[in-house]
Amino acid sequence: MKTILFAVALAALGPVHAAVPVAKIQAMLAKPPVMCGRFDQSKQLAGMKKPLAANGRFCVVAGKGVLWRTLQPFPSTLRLTRDEIVNYQGDRVAMRLDAKTEPTVRMINNVLFSLLSGDLAQLETLFEVDGTVDANSWNVVLKPRQPALEKAIGTIKLDGGAYVKTIVMGDAGGDRTTIVFSAIQSGDAAMSKEEAALF
Amino acid sequence: MNRTRQFALLWAFAVCLLLGHNAYLWLVQRIVPDTDIMALLPVQERDPLLQQSFSHMVDAAQQRVVVLVGAAGWQDARRAADAYSAVLASRKEIFEATPIGEQTQSDWLSLFQRHRLVLLTAQQEAQLRTQPARFWLEAALSKLYSPFGGPNLGAWRDDPFGLFAGWLQERAQETPVRPRDGHLFVADAQRQYVLLPLTLKVPALSMTAQETVLPLLKQAGDAARKATPQVELIQAGVILHAANASAQASGEVSTIGIGSLLGIVLLMWFAFHSFKPISLILLSIGIGCLGALSVCWLLFGRVHLMTLVFGASLIGVAQDYGIYFLCNRLAADEKLDSPALLKRLLPGLGLTLLAAVIGYMGLALTPFPGLRQMAVFSALGLVFAWLTVVCWFPALIGGRTLKSGALVRGYGAALQRWPLLRMNGATLLAAVAFALAAGYGVSRLGANDDIRLLQNPPKHLIADQLKLSKLLDAPTPVQYFLVRGDSVETVLQREEALKARLDLMAAAGRIAGYQAMSNWVPSARTQAARRQLIEDKLLAAGGPLHAVAAQTGEDAQWIAATAAGLRTAAAPLTLDDFLKAPASEPWRHLWLGDVNGVYASIVALRGLSGTAVPQVRLAADGLEGVQWVDKVAEISSVLGRYREYMSWVVLGAYAVVFALLFPRYRRRTWRVLAPTALASIATLALLGFASQNLQLFHVLALMLLLGVGVDYGIFMQEHPDRRDRTPWLAVGMSAANTILSFGLLGLSSTPALQAFGLTMLLGTALVWLIVPCFGSTKESSND
Repeated sequence: MKTILFAVALAALGPVHAAVPVAKIQAMLAKPPVMCGRFDQSKQLAGMKKPLAANGRFCVVAGKGVLWRTLQPFPSTLRLTRDEIVNYQGDRVAMRLDAKTEPTVRMINNVLFSLLSGDLAQLETLFEVDGTVDANSWNVVLKPRQPALEKAIGTIKLDGGAYVKTIVMGDAGGDRTTIVFSAIQSGDAAMSKEEAALF
Repeated sequence: MNRTRQFALLWAFAVCLLLGHNAYLWLVQRIVPDTDIMALLPVQERDPLLQQSFSHMVDAAQQRVVVLVGAAGWQDARRAADAYSAVLASRKEIFEATPIGEQTQSDWLSLFQRHRLVLLTAQQEAQLRTQPARFWLEAALSKLYSPFGGPNLGAWRDDPFGLFAGWLQERAQETPVRPRDGHLFVADAQRQYVLLPLTLKVPALSMTAQETVLPLLKQAGDAARKATPQVELIQAGVILHAANASAQASGEVSTIGIGSLLGIVLLMWFAFHSFKPISLILLSIGIGCLGALSVCWLLFGRVHLMTLVFGASLIGVAQDYGIYFLCNRLAADEKLDSPALLKRLLPGLGLTLLAAVIGYMGLALTPFPGLRQMAVFSALGLVFAWLTVVCWFPALIGGRTLKSGALVRGYGAALQRWPLLRMNGATLLAAVAFALAAGYGVSRLGANDDIRLLQNPPKHLIADQLKLSKLLDAPTPVQYFLVRGDSVETVLQREEALKARLDLMAAAGRIAGYQAMSNWVPSARTQAARRQLIEDKLLAAGGPLHAVAAQTGEDAQWIAATAAGLRTAAAPLTLDDFLKAPASEPWRHLWLGDVNGVYASIVALRGLSGTAVPQVRLAADGLEGVQWVDKVAEISSVLGRYREYMSWVVLGAYAVVFALLFPRYRRRTWRVLAPTALASIATLALLGFASQNLQLFHVLALMLLLGVGVDYGIFMQEHPDRRDRTPWLAVGMSAANTILSFGLLGLSSTPALQAFGLTMLLGTALVWLIVPCFGSTKESSND
């Protein structure tokens, strides 16, 4: 009985007494202005026998947004900036969301940027953050505060050190996406010419 | 004496009946005047369905108050909005807030998910027809491999080609408002806003409601500012405009009204040294108005607000009878008793009444029900006022009641020095000069019947309204397409034909988009065509679905199961299903339903600019059952037609009055009418010189000017002897009163009242100045 009461009290206090020292993780992160690297993604969908593997390159540019280039099994580029989200298949624009008509564009961009750069302070406004930290690595579980958001994206697990290393997203429907980041470079040289042209 | 008493008593009895009936109407029946300007239109021209579509749009809008609470950060905006809502929540009997729950959102989706296969955007449908299988394979794989495929609307397998997601995205873009953290959210580049849609539970047009609602909104605004000091508040709603108009009107009533009342009382005091005359004249006017209302209600069973407004103008004419009697009483020998005096005045008094009544009756011959009602109201009001003067004044005013003051003597002497027109060179020269000047002035007159001239809301209300409609991208409620047909299916099919044209308009940037029922519920024909299209292009053997399976290593069983899953979501979606679902709540006003066997709906336009209207309205051309409705233009055209009709009525009234006066004044008849006619022309010329545009209210004033001006002409011709100052005094008193009561309306900031007031001010002053010039040059007897 006492433990239940304690748990309720803790839950009510919520982010004020966050279990995770977010500041500690923030201090550990490199947070470069430009960061690019390789990703390997594995998606397991409900109703599909085999996991779907894909890989490619990604770039996170502070103040600008995110570039997500799937190279295998076929090329597709997603570009998220402050004013729009664009999906290219080859040169063709397959989808475009404009912030003028879709006000959530800025929110989506913000969340994704925070996820890839590990900005937990930002993420805390939308998610309950729980996890552990040790000397040079950390891992957290993000649980959306809003049921609608939880329905849309499910629970997210992040782990990393100076950079985010893996992201695991899983929803109630049984879909599960794992993304592993590697070969992360930072600084102006990190971005290839081709990528710079896409931004 | 005895007969005077009998008449007075008889009239007292009639007045008691009137008072009783009025008390019953206002206190027991609680009558409310009509305010719908379309009720003034000829019945056969009014289309009941059109009418209903408009009240549908307007009634929904009227009770709504929309508030945007904005700040640079979302948390700040939320805090301010919560403070704002908390104040309103304390008065649940006034405002109803629409709650935003998570539940609504999932209910919202479930209906469409069950029918997702038939829900396609126009672009998707075109792509299905034209794009090769490869296109759809790529679309499916891209969605499959993308890590951030957008919100999960269900399993990938339920919408492998992203068609339903695309349709939902298009629907979501019909409004930029999004649910966010239990609030409604909208943003521009600078600020994030919480949208608070409020519904008034009290009538927006009621003054008492306005007196409670406005302070409450102010209190809520203060609370929001306290929570977030840099908050931006944008408020819009009919009640804000109505409250502003009432405040403006009552402000003007107190300044203009008190000014004119004070002026009239002072004038009467200097003229008669008694307050009795003014109270008697007010009595006659009051009985005139109440009597007119009573009989009008008995005749029509309703009264329009415009009738009351125009009817109020009869004060200007109704006072003339009383003033004429009083001035003659003042001038007459004290020994002459009042009944005998009345007998002498009766022919002139009778003619003034007849001229005015006949003038107003000209209005009754027009096909406009509004004008007919105004005519009957005005004529009745004059008859009642006249009867009050004739029946009561002799009994109430004795020979010694009135004494003339210094003002009267000084003013009376001025008549002797007034120029008199004779047939000579100077007169001819003046006539030519007048004709040239007036001709030039009148030729400069334009016409403008824009309904927006009738009101001028303050700038901050307009600015808020503009900002709000820009942020919310809401359609205008006054310009839209009305679609009708003999069945639901026909209406939906016709909407789809219209939408095909509107898509071109949107592509050309003339509109931002449209809202239509068929966006949500396609016609059965379209649904069937789409089902077939998806079968042929996506699900068929060797098609994209098979290719997707091959790429992901799935077997024939998977294909069969996926296709079967999709087909279960191909059941036809009916309009009734949609209307019953909570998802249709924001769109239900677009569906008018069955109106006497005809089904109708509204297609509303977003982002329509005024300059694009002439092209956009053409979209209805040649489409059966589709009609462009432009309420602004329509009301403006009603006002324009009223203005033209009234102009002819004014001219006709001159002719009728001339014919009526002729038997009594013979060759002097023109002298009665000429001052008014010249003053009217001069007034129009002056308005032309001032670059004013002619509108209905100028013409209504000219009609009233005829009523008062003819009275002055008759007074002067009844006493052709220049040494007799009585008529000159009556004209002066009457004109000064008219100027004080109507002319001061020229100071109003409401354009319609200003137009009316200015015309009356100029016209009455001119008649007053001109009328002595048309006195007869030689004595002639009144035969």
